[in-house]
Amino acid sequence: MSQENIIESLTGKTSKKKKSRIPAKLDFLQSATGLILAIFMIFHMLFVSTILISKDFMYSVTKAFELSFIFEGGSTVPVFISILIIFIIFIFHAFLAMRKFPISYKEVLRLKTHSDLMNHGDTKLWIIQVVTGFLLFFLGSVHLYIMLTNPGNIGPFASSDRVYSDTMWPLYILLLIAVEFHGAIGLYRLSVKWGWFEGSDPKKSRKRLKKAKWILSGVMLVLGAATLVAYMKIGAEHQSNYGERYTIQTEVQNAY
Amino acid sequence: MHIRYTDALIIGGGLAGLRSAIATSERGLDTIVLSLVPVKRSHSSAAQGGMQASLGNSIMGEGDNEDIHFSDTVKGSDWGCDQEVARMFVQTAPKAIRELAAWGVPWNRVVKGERAVVINAKHTTITEKEEAHGLINARDFGGTKKWRTCYTADATGHTMLYAVTNEAMKRGVVIEDKKEAISLIMKDGQCFGAIVRDLKKGGLSAYVAKGTMIATGGYGRIYKQSTNATICKGTGHAIALEAGAYLGNMEAIQFHPTPMVPSGILLTEGCRGDGGVLRDKDGYRFMPDYEPEKKDLASRDVVSRRMLEHIKKGKGVKSSYGDHLWLDISILGREHIEKNLRDVQDISMTFNGIDPADKDENGWMPVLPMQHYSMGGIRTTPKGQSVNIKGLFSCGEAACWDMHGFNRLGGNSVSETVVAGMIVGNYFADFCEETGIAIDTKMVQDELGKQDEYILGILACDGNEKIFDIKDKMRNIMQDKVGIFRNGKDLEEAVEELKILLQKTKNITVANKCRLLNPELEEAYKVPMMLKVALCVAKGARDRTESRGAHFREDYLKRDDENWLNRTISYWKNKDDLEPALKYEELDIMKMEIPPAFRGYGRKGFILENPLSQKRQEEVDKIIENHKSDRGSLQEKLMPYELQAEYKIKNQRLGDEDE
Amino acid sequence: MSREITITALKYNPSDCNSKPTFVDYKLQEEPGMTLYIALTKIKATVDHDLSSDFVCRAGICGACGMIINGKPKLACKTLTSDFKDGKIELLPLPTFPLIKDLSVDTGSWMKNMSIRVNSWIVTNEKTDISKLEKRIEPEVADEVFELDRCIECGLCVAGCSTAIMRKDFVGAVGLNRVARFSIDPHDERTDEDFYELIGDDEGIFGCMSLLACEDYCPKNLPLQSKIAYMRRKMIKV
Repeated sequence: MSQENIIESLTGKTSKKKKSRIPAKLDFLQSATGLILAIFMIFHMLFVSTILISKDFMYSVTKAFELSFIFEGGSTVPVFISILIIFIIFIFHAFLAMRKFPISYKEVLRLKTHSDLMNHGDTKLWIIQVVTGFLLFFLGSVHLYIMLTNPGNIGPFASSDRVYSDTMWPLYILLLIAVEFHGAIGLYRLSVKWGWFEGSDPKKSRKRLKKAKWILSGVMLVLGAATLVAYMKIGAEHQSNYGERYTIQTEVQNAY
Repeated sequence: MHIRYTDALIIGGGLAGLRSAIATSERGLDTIVLSLVPVKRSHSSAAQGGMQASLGNSIMGEGDNEDIHFSDTVKGSDWGCDQEVARMFVQTAPKAIRELAAWGVPWNRVVKGERAVVINAKHTTITEKEEAHGLINARDFGGTKKWRTCYTADATGHTMLYAVTNEAMKRGVVIEDKKEAISLIMKDGQCFGAIVRDLKKGGLSAYVAKGTMIATGGYGRIYKQSTNATICKGTGHAIALEAGAYLGNMEAIQFHPTPMVPSGILLTEGCRGDGGVLRDKDGYRFMPDYEPEKKDLASRDVVSRRMLEHIKKGKGVKSSYGDHLWLDISILGREHIEKNLRDVQDISMTFNGIDPADKDENGWMPVLPMQHYSMGGIRTTPKGQSVNIKGLFSCGEAACWDMHGFNRLGGNSVSETVVAGMIVGNYFADFCEETGIAIDTKMVQDELGKQDEYILGILACDGNEKIFDIKDKMRNIMQDKVGIFRNGKDLEEAVEELKILLQKTKNITVANKCRLLNPELEEAYKVPMMLKVALCVAKGARDRTESRGAHFREDYLKRDDENWLNRTISYWKNKDDLEPALKYEELDIMKMEIPPAFRGYGRKGFILENPLSQKRQEEVDKIIENHKSDRGSLQEKLMPYELQAEYKIKNQRLGDEDE
Repeated sequence: MSREITITALKYNPSDCNSKPTFVDYKLQEEPGMTLYIALTKIKATVDHDLSSDFVCRAGICGACGMIINGKPKLACKTLTSDFKDGKIELLPLPTFPLIKDLSVDTGSWMKNMSIRVNSWIVTNEKTDISKLEKRIEPEVADEVFELDRCIECGLCVAGCSTAIMRKDFVGAVGLNRVARFSIDPHDERTDEDFYELIGDDEGIFGCMSLLACEDYCPKNLPLQSKIAYMRRKMIKV
């Protein structure tokens, strides 16, 4: 065991008689990982929702992620690596955010009573974040694990089969709701936490940010719901051909 | 038995007490400050408008110095003050403000170049000097020749109190809040500390100290309508009185012209200092008619009386709370109000729903004079020690030090608190350093036992009087009969009625018999204390058959320098007496730097002159005529006074050498 | 026409072994312009001599009378009874502070500890000669410091704070604002490293979750949101 750790844990100071810089790093990393995940989720949504445009489009975007312009027919390796990175960031973010959760009975009671009595907007939003964050531990992990073990199974049919025939849709509905609330509130919180977009009148900017937060949540939920419906529909139609992979030609043939 | 030992015990945690605590702790003395409330909530925090100190940085304060500040203060006091003390004060005030600046009070600073101000209800532009940029600014206040009142918007007392408390904490002063001193430990005319009640738990303990200081502020709550905080009950005066201490000029009560109706919350004099004016029911600005020179900014006693005089002429605004007048600051403009008078705006909007920045009559705030300040208090020497009890010191509003005489100038009270904290605090520290005391623990125990019995006695008492009724009656009597306009008949009645009330307090019943945390019990021991203080005020006022400063007798309209150029001393002879004994301490005209004359405002020709005034004036004139050297040495010739060298040293001003 | 209002207060005396926490209803006639200070004073003088609360200046200046009023942390002296349309007002003592009795809490000790913890005073090696001209300060800087120096330590920011509710060692917006105040004061020589030593942990700046109840309930409208963000940005760079 390092003496430095012993010194800090017993005295609260490092051997240079300073406070540890770790809490600063943790605070920063919690925000940074949250920001990465939130931005990832926005792009993720944009990507999966390409199905609303057309199967072809979604297929070509998938292939682009598989770097088909480098490897013939695309490779699942870059997808696998991306998912792995996101999974690690996800776990790290959960670990950091957990520090803020109410843990004991007393803390839960006090927080709940306090929030119920006060009926304060931002406090309630945080409680939503705690609840959705907690749900995401499980929902997110399941989803990420499945994707990690099946990096090749992304595509108009593969994804639809997963949603419909593999009965993933209940999980996806919950995941969608949890993520969009958690992420949008998180982005709003990051802005006020670090003073982004403060402008000359922080109170006014905060109101605008909050409005932007609601719009983001709303747009994402609608988009997500529509996308899910689209995959459900394709999944239902494709049930008999479960496991078949999509190709551009199929689409063309079907068109005739 | 719980006994604490310390070098310096300070009762009262406002500006004066805390600044004194800094003085003693800097000498390495073990210091304890006791306070009824967390010290940052002390009534000092409610001082809004500012602190007088003759820095002369602003163009409107140019040429200001200690002499002018001194002259304003003496005139303000209507010659009732101790001029040596006033000198000590004006000499130290600039140092106090500079010390506070270094401790972090964010004084408003001079901005070079032009700025718009309102003077005499007219918008004017003044140009601040380049070299004054960044130095401490000042605003105008009543009864002053120069703009001398330094400020932080209208939260001056707040920022001062925070800075001083912070410095006290930095020096490790022990501050114990929610502690109330209920009696002094006395033996052979010397004070050895106090018996203290813990307001968080209810228990009693003894605090034994080499020196004890009372800095408990004023006693405005004996009046029904007062700007004072709920804690300003005069219990500090009462324990001194019960210990035998002399109180000085208790009848000298200041009524502030502009508390708001009906809440009684103060609207700072800074409102008028910055250019606000008083208006009557017709929206007419009436003060210039009465006071052509100082107008709305005559001294507070004068403005308050003029306001009531005007109301008596039928010019008041009728309301369900009686007649009132208007205070108009809308002419200063929204920007100024929202920067420099924001607490006033907040108070007015919260309590009356009026935004004072709104145009014309929409922004006028209803005001009426109410009790505001207690010039009287524990009579001390210029060093701050009680004139008749060894080891007992007092400073700030609680003391009759006596730099205010019969009327205090706005901005001189927060200034006094810190200045006295510095000067008296140092003398107090000297005393604590020099004094060794032999503690007779039996005596301490006896006093503790006596107080314990007293409290048990109150709880055991089974009478038919109600303590809350008695308190209400007292406050009404003081309001109606010992107010701004006083007369012999009312005052006589007031004294007699108060005596009856004091008698009645021995015949009450406290419903809750718990001796620990019991608000009703607290009332039961406080109200008799308040009544004793009220009796000193009423009897002092009854017997003073003249009008001086804030003490105004309808039956004796003149200031009587022949018979009444003195200080009232009230004291409690025997424990069971129902009224104080009075005696008088003469003021020596022949030692005054400024002999009695007309103040320059107020009614002319209402003085019964003392022949000595003329004689002394001639002496003074002669000294001035023959004097060739600088101001300082002239002052020494006119009226030498003692002050610590560090405070007596010359104050540097803008334009002086070696800046 | 005045109406009858009902004030419900939580009564409890923790130092009395016979006392049990109970809600007590008081009915009284409303008066024009009635504040909770006036209402409670009336109740104390007439109906219940035993009700404890903390009022000092009764003008919103001293910060003594913070309470939870119909769920929200507010200054009782600045709250008008007419603000409550149904005439029902529930009063609770401020959470996060030790309860003394009924509506009276010990904010004093809490604030004293906070002040000592963040070294809430000017730190400098410069000796000031008070007989000489004062140090020049840029007027805008003085105004900025004053803006933050307006805090009255009422504790509403702490009582509204979810972190403080759960973690009793959290320094609160009041403490973070205080550090921001000294960090911009030109009289203070402390560096960001020095301030990090005071608030650089999860009980300090990094404990804040930016829920902004502090900002929303501050009776002095202090810019807590932007000042805490400002300190956070500084502290992260240390």
